[in-house]
Amino acid sequence: MIEQLDAIHQEALSAVAAVHDEPALEDYRIHFLGKKGTLTQAAAGMRHVAKEDKPAVGQKLNQVRQAITGLVEERAEALLAAKDATAAKGIDLTLPGRRPQEAALHPLTQVMHRGISALRQMGFTLAAGPEVETEFHCFDALNTPVDHPARNEKDTFYFADGHLLRTHTSSVQIRTMETTAPPVRIIAPGSAYRRDEIDATHLSVFSQMEGLYVAEDVSVGDLKGTLERLFHSIFGPKTPVRFRPHFFPFTEPSFEIDIKLQPKGQEARWIEIAGCGMVDPNVFAQICQSRGDDLYDPDKVTGFAFGLGLERLAMIMWGIPDIRWLIENDHRFLGQFAKA
Amino acid sequence: MNTSLNWLQDHIDLSDCKTAELADRLTFAGIEVEGITTHGAGMDHVVVAQVVSSDPHPNAERLSVCQVDDGTAEPRQIVCGAKNYKVGDKVPLALPGAVLPGDFKIKSGKLRGVESNGMMCSGRELQISEDHEGLLILDTDASPGTPIGELFESDTLFELEITPNRPDLLSHLGIARELAALAKRPLKGVSHHAATTVSQRPATPEEITLVAPEACPYYTARRISGVQVGPSPDWLKSKLNAIGLRPINNIVDITNFVLFEMGQPLHAFDANKLDGGICVRLARENETFLALDGNEYALENDDLVIADQSKAVAIGGVMGGEDSGVVEGTTDILLESAYFTPSHIRRTSRRLDLSSDSSYRFERGVDPAQTAGASELATKLILELAGGEAEDFLLIAGEAPAPPAPVALDHERAARLLGVPLSPDDMGSILTGLGLEQSKDQRWKIPTYRHDLERHIDLVEEITRVYGIDKIPAREQAAFTEPSKEDARYDAYLRLRQRLVSLGYHDCLTIKLISQDQLADDLCGLRMGSQTQAVPLKKPLSQDHTTLRPSVLPGLLDVAERNIRQGAGSLKFFEIGTVFSKHVKSPKVLESHQLGILLAGDMADHSWHGKPREADIYDLTGLIESLFENDKQKISLRPLEHESLLLAAEILLGKAVIGRLGQVWPKRARAMDREGPLFVAEIDLAKAIKPAAAAEPVQDLPRFPSVTRDIALDVPASMPNAELASYFSKQNERLLVGFQLFDFFSDPSGEKLPADRKSLAYSLTYRAADRTLKSEEVDAAHEKIVRGLEKMSDVRIR
Repeated sequence: MIEQLDAIHQEALSAVAAVHDEPALEDYRIHFLGKKGTLTQAAAGMRHVAKEDKPAVGQKLNQVRQAITGLVEERAEALLAAKDATAAKGIDLTLPGRRPQEAALHPLTQVMHRGISALRQMGFTLAAGPEVETEFHCFDALNTPVDHPARNEKDTFYFADGHLLRTHTSSVQIRTMETTAPPVRIIAPGSAYRRDEIDATHLSVFSQMEGLYVAEDVSVGDLKGTLERLFHSIFGPKTPVRFRPHFFPFTEPSFEIDIKLQPKGQEARWIEIAGCGMVDPNVFAQICQSRGDDLYDPDKVTGFAFGLGLERLAMIMWGIPDIRWLIENDHRFLGQFAKA
Repeated sequence: MNTSLNWLQDHIDLSDCKTAELADRLTFAGIEVEGITTHGAGMDHVVVAQVVSSDPHPNAERLSVCQVDDGTAEPRQIVCGAKNYKVGDKVPLALPGAVLPGDFKIKSGKLRGVESNGMMCSGRELQISEDHEGLLILDTDASPGTPIGELFESDTLFELEITPNRPDLLSHLGIARELAALAKRPLKGVSHHAATTVSQRPATPEEITLVAPEACPYYTARRISGVQVGPSPDWLKSKLNAIGLRPINNIVDITNFVLFEMGQPLHAFDANKLDGGICVRLARENETFLALDGNEYALENDDLVIADQSKAVAIGGVMGGEDSGVVEGTTDILLESAYFTPSHIRRTSRRLDLSSDSSYRFERGVDPAQTAGASELATKLILELAGGEAEDFLLIAGEAPAPPAPVALDHERAARLLGVPLSPDDMGSILTGLGLEQSKDQRWKIPTYRHDLERHIDLVEEITRVYGIDKIPAREQAAFTEPSKEDARYDAYLRLRQRLVSLGYHDCLTIKLISQDQLADDLCGLRMGSQTQAVPLKKPLSQDHTTLRPSVLPGLLDVAERNIRQGAGSLKFFEIGTVFSKHVKSPKVLESHQLGILLAGDMADHSWHGKPREADIYDLTGLIESLFENDKQKISLRPLEHESLLLAAEILLGKAVIGRLGQVWPKRARAMDREGPLFVAEIDLAKAIKPAAAAEPVQDLPRFPSVTRDIALDVPASMPNAELASYFSKQNERLLVGFQLFDFFSDPSGEKLPADRKSLAYSLTYRAADRTLKSEEVDAAHEKIVRGLEKMSDVRIR
């Protein structure tokens, strides 16, 4: 009996190597462990075994059954593993993946956000005002003389009732100071309008970002610190920034800001990027008159203001050759900013 | 303004200054240098030559073969293409070996088979003038062979942008004065800028009448007779050439010279063409004027004219007349030097769209203290260069405007504004350098040419400019700030943009001005009711941009059209922006922020994975649900009739209408080469985005399993899903925790289901919070719901 069981065990051990698929494994299992399997039949011979031999034979029978069951399980595992491996084998990892459709924030949204983020970190909050403005908020309150060149129907869009499309976001300075007590520290991104023919460098509707900081004792040094930090955070901390004296009706002293950039394949050069200055006392005086109080008395508060063109910023940042690309929304253009 | 370095050196010694250094000085003083060009440098081997003969080229119609005298014994043969010379003319000749500007090397060679030993040059080829229409004909006594450098000295030209507050810089003297202050160098003190020495006499009303003193408060005239009009001498021509002005005749050249020397525009009339004395008056109704630019101008009552007793002879301060100017043959002159009110000149110049070097200066403000001095300098030069005799006195009418008032400087305040502890002495020396003088009462006396210095801050500006902003230390400091409503709005819009972008929708920005055609498209009407209308511009710039957009959809439709033409298979675009409208009964323009979405075409990119699905209306409605629904408020749609939309519906969030959506009428889409459906939506963001509410505690996770039961319903095709959904959600069965539509079927052919029926299958979820449900409990609850459905009219359980 023992010999018979050893023989079955031996047969099972040698036969298992020939099992290469699941049906063969099932046949194998049935051959040994099935109702009519060799081991099952051998087990039926137990009743003929002498009583004193039974424990030893029984033990042997269990050993062999466990061994064969183990072989079957082991083989089943191996077959599954082989199947899994085959399933992955045909996969060509160089085939393009199934990617979700990609889109981009508009370059102007992106450049605006960079500016806003940087200025918010410096304690500025956002402000807004209407795009259809009064002459008062767009010009008078900003110390712009009645016969200033910008104030005519050739350069500015007017409406029949005398309102106009704001020519700069600076009107938000006035709106904010009219309703908010100092200190104010605001940025106002938004559209501005000028009666310019649209071409590669001009739009009649464009985007600006205005900034204003008014408090006691705001100095030219603060203006420099803020704007240097702003352009360093947009263009990199090593970008040279310079201020040149200039003239604007609503600030004095006034400056233009240049940054030094090296466009690809060109020599580094200074590029004009923004205008700024200390708020003109006449602007504060006008605010006092509008508010009917003296919170903005030019003897008590000082401040600085700045404005930058966002299209220009985007064009410089990405080397965009034609400003019209920014309003055409061609998917081949926008798609390039998905990773920006 | 074109500024010549040589000319500046008449007033200030800059010989040791490098060009770049000078440019920096100007730039940091607020005078932007827009261009620098060097003229007449590197003119070795360029000489004066005289044309001896000129014959046609045997092989080329357009060329001539010239023999020229270059000062050597032998004539030199040159092949030339220009036509503007005649035999005997003197011209510049570049000899072989010369290197012209632009690294153009001159060599001997054959041109169409004929030997040519050099090149005769135009003014532009030598960068002496802008002139390139032929050879530069030299009006000179210099003999052939004279190096051209002896006729034209080398010079550097600065193209300067002068800001409108600094008219005093619109002359060479002005720039020299500024450089003297900045570089702390002395001016040479050329005598003619000192007060005039000529005697002055008030004009009689017969001589000069000032009828419009508000436009011209001060007018002077000098009579000069017996002049001989002719070409200017070389020194004068070369000065004008250097700044890009074409010499005309000695009298005109002198007035131009004085303008660019001192900044005072002058005008010389031919005295014999004037009918009696000068009258400075406003134009009459319907008066027209033929100016020396050859154009006839229709004047208005606000325009100032200089007139004689019968007609206008100049538009005051802007331009002289065609008929009264100095020409060859003029013998007697009346020389005008005046002060015109800036705002007046500005209005006229702008209205007539007519600008001149004179009006440019008058409208910014000239120095009234040099009116007489400029007249005297011009007179002196006329007598020198054109002969004749001047009257002993200058005729004066009116009074020069008062000099600027003195201004006080508060040193402490100035230092605080700058953020630099500058001492009173430092500030004082800067102001003194600029020509200001401290008076006994400590206030600063302002030079007559600095009308821009009126206030304390004006002095601070001067100190900043001259001290140099680069020396002011940057200060970094911040204060805590409260976020504004605008911050919250910006953040919400940005989140919305980022969500849409991550779903493959492109963030667009279209122009806010639209055309009448776009307006008529009626997509705008999707947003506006009958009580609102679009806002037209008074004077549009073009037919494409006549009206403020009342909706973002016309712009997005343009975007779709452009991208269809570019071959885009997937059209997923949105724009967040301001739109404008007004109530029919009120002029007030209403601005609001809208989200526009446009969707059509493939929902995925084309790839080997199979053909992508085409977008349908449920992609759009699902997107809107996902963007705007919250725990308390669900999106629902209310069908709408609309002319330009095949499918149209109002979008409701809870009970409030927040926008509209629909499918653009296919005919319209086909006109844009779009065959499949094209969907649009427009949502009012003020209504759709609620301020962030306080955080809600999370719901407990279910601890016991749920059981689902499916139910398929056969209902009339006309019955909306909403009716059944509403039935389920109103069930008062505590165990029913959710329901979901999982199958929808209809068959328009009527084969598998009658055409007027449809099949909807829902999966209902049952669960108790405190126990695992027994099958019987679920059966009972489900049965109750099924019974209710059976009672609904025309609903069959399948």
